[in-house]
Amino acid sequence: MKNIIFIFKSAIDDFSRNKLRTFLTSLGILIGVFAVVVLIALGLGLKKYISDQFEAMGKNTIFLVPGRILSGGGFSGSASSFTGSFDNRDIEILKRIDNVVSVGPLTLKSIKVNGLIKEDFADIMFSSEVLPDIMGFEIETGRFFDKTDVTKRAKVVFIGNKIATDYYGSAENAIGQKVTVNNVKFMIIGVTKSKGGGGMGGPDYDSYLYGPYTTGYIFNPDKKFFRLMVKTTNENYVAQVKEDIKKEFLKRYEEEEFSVVEPTELLSAITSIFSVLNLILVAIAAISLLVGGIGIMNIMYVTVSDRIKEIGIRRAIGARKSDILSQFLAEAVLLSSIGGILGIALAYFGVFFAQKFFPAYIDLLTVAIALGVSSAIGITFGVFPARKAANLEPVEAIRYE
Amino acid sequence: MIKLVNVSKEYIIDSEYTFYALKKANVEIKEKEFVSIMGPSGSGKSTLMHIIGLLDKPTTGKVFILEREISKITDDQLSTLRNEFVGFVFQQFNLINKLTVLENVMLPTIYCRKELDFDPTDRAVEILENFGLKGKMNSYPNKLSGGQQQRVAIARALMMKPKLILADEPTGNLDSKTGHEIMMLLEKLNKEEKITIVLVTHETDIAAYAKRVIKIRDGEIV
Repeated sequence: MKNIIFIFKSAIDDFSRNKLRTFLTSLGILIGVFAVVVLIALGLGLKKYISDQFEAMGKNTIFLVPGRILSGGGFSGSASSFTGSFDNRDIEILKRIDNVVSVGPLTLKSIKVNGLIKEDFADIMFSSEVLPDIMGFEIETGRFFDKTDVTKRAKVVFIGNKIATDYYGSAENAIGQKVTVNNVKFMIIGVTKSKGGGGMGGPDYDSYLYGPYTTGYIFNPDKKFFRLMVKTTNENYVAQVKEDIKKEFLKRYEEEEFSVVEPTELLSAITSIFSVLNLILVAIAAISLLVGGIGIMNIMYVTVSDRIKEIGIRRAIGARKSDILSQFLAEAVLLSSIGGILGIALAYFGVFFAQKFFPAYIDLLTVAIALGVSSAIGITFGVFPARKAANLEPVEAIRYE
Repeated sequence: MIKLVNVSKEYIIDSEYTFYALKKANVEIKEKEFVSIMGPSGSGKSTLMHIIGLLDKPTTGKVFILEREISKITDDQLSTLRNEFVGFVFQQFNLINKLTVLENVMLPTIYCRKELDFDPTDRAVEILENFGLKGKMNSYPNKLSGGQQQRVAIARALMMKPKLILADEPTGNLDSKTGHEIMMLLEKLNKEEKITIVLVTHETDIAAYAKRVIKIRDGEIV
């Protein structure tokens, strides 16, 4: 024990005498650890962001999408969610399945919104009264459209928070305003609370308008829907309902013509794609760790050559081969760990700034792995120079000038 | 205590020429002896000392330390013997310049595996005080005079209470006055502490401190 303390103390003494060399040697590991930790943090942030987007939808929701969108856990190559569509008969079929609470169809239309302060194109989603529940919307002012609005084909919409503020200035201002869609006037009856997010990973639900699908028939005379949302009694029935839907739909459609997906499935598919991308980036960054390790090995060989005489002296007064080995190994591990610790510190700094734009975060596991990997690099690349030092013949080392 | 039987050390220079640093040397050193090994430079006296001090192994022949044949013991056991049984004093002092005087003297205890029967710091301080180096304990060796450095080296050699001190031209880098002071110190250790001393030198007056002189020339004991 005293030996270990002494070894580390003398290594630290040595570093403080060669501060610049120590820093430059650790720099490779520092940069490598920094890059790896930051990339993992971004990857984790992205994962969290995507799952947050999906979480709101609830675990008891099933989506029906035309075509094959998932195969074997990932998106299939020929994936396209816009080929084909569903109709009213599908809705009736779904409603007859056990444990289906409600069915919400979905169509999308791009419209021009003439707001009070802005005019631009936005998308309107036509669906049923179950939409807010399925999507996890909450009302800020006014109300959602209800079952009566759907039955009466009322010309009403509720709008995302961002639409309200961007086009009308505020949620209060938007209420009661009219939105014209192909000469049809819709009244704004509600504004949702902001769900945040948008950008990468998922749709920005704050930037849509939402109207009853029955009213939407005006622009959709074929009464076709590009999505159907199904809500089950609770999440335990999801698997059974999925099977039942498949069975029923196979009577009408070919297997490739529709997909029954859960948000969690989509989530895992998207996440797995990003995970692979992230892994590739991390692997590339890890190359710099390798280069840093070689730098440490190089400097350790120099150190051993510089200190042959010292090694001879230590051997003469009783140091074993293993003592010399651990001394130089400790220095290599310390060098790489210093780089690792500084790299992690710098990464915390970097991630702190990245958080202003992106939900990146560093978890404890990443830190533990980064520390583990950097000391492992010290051992791996330090062991060869250290073995060279340990295997020097004492008599030759002590005669060395 | 130490017995060398027909010990040779060969260096193969090329296929036709082998250099004998030591040729069939037979040496025996008894406990509490003060022996000097004398010979001109290149005579093989340093090789002899390195073999006695377990820093080097003979090409042929047998070396016995405390009745044990050293070719039969492991490198770790050799290290332990160097640590506990032998103390070295070199011409070049061979102190580690980045360690303080005190740390240098205490260094052998770091490599000791057994329980020490003394406190390392207390013992190091005591020896250094006896050697008149009280004020120099936290200095670095390269700030000291040659005589002081050699005293630090002797202090380090004494640290583990060795049975044997090997001194390789300990006065070679010192002026004659300091050299004699160092020799008197070694003489005192032999007389008072009963430590066996093997001294390597080419100077007759230095060799004269020893009670027995082994002469060596061209690798052969004469």
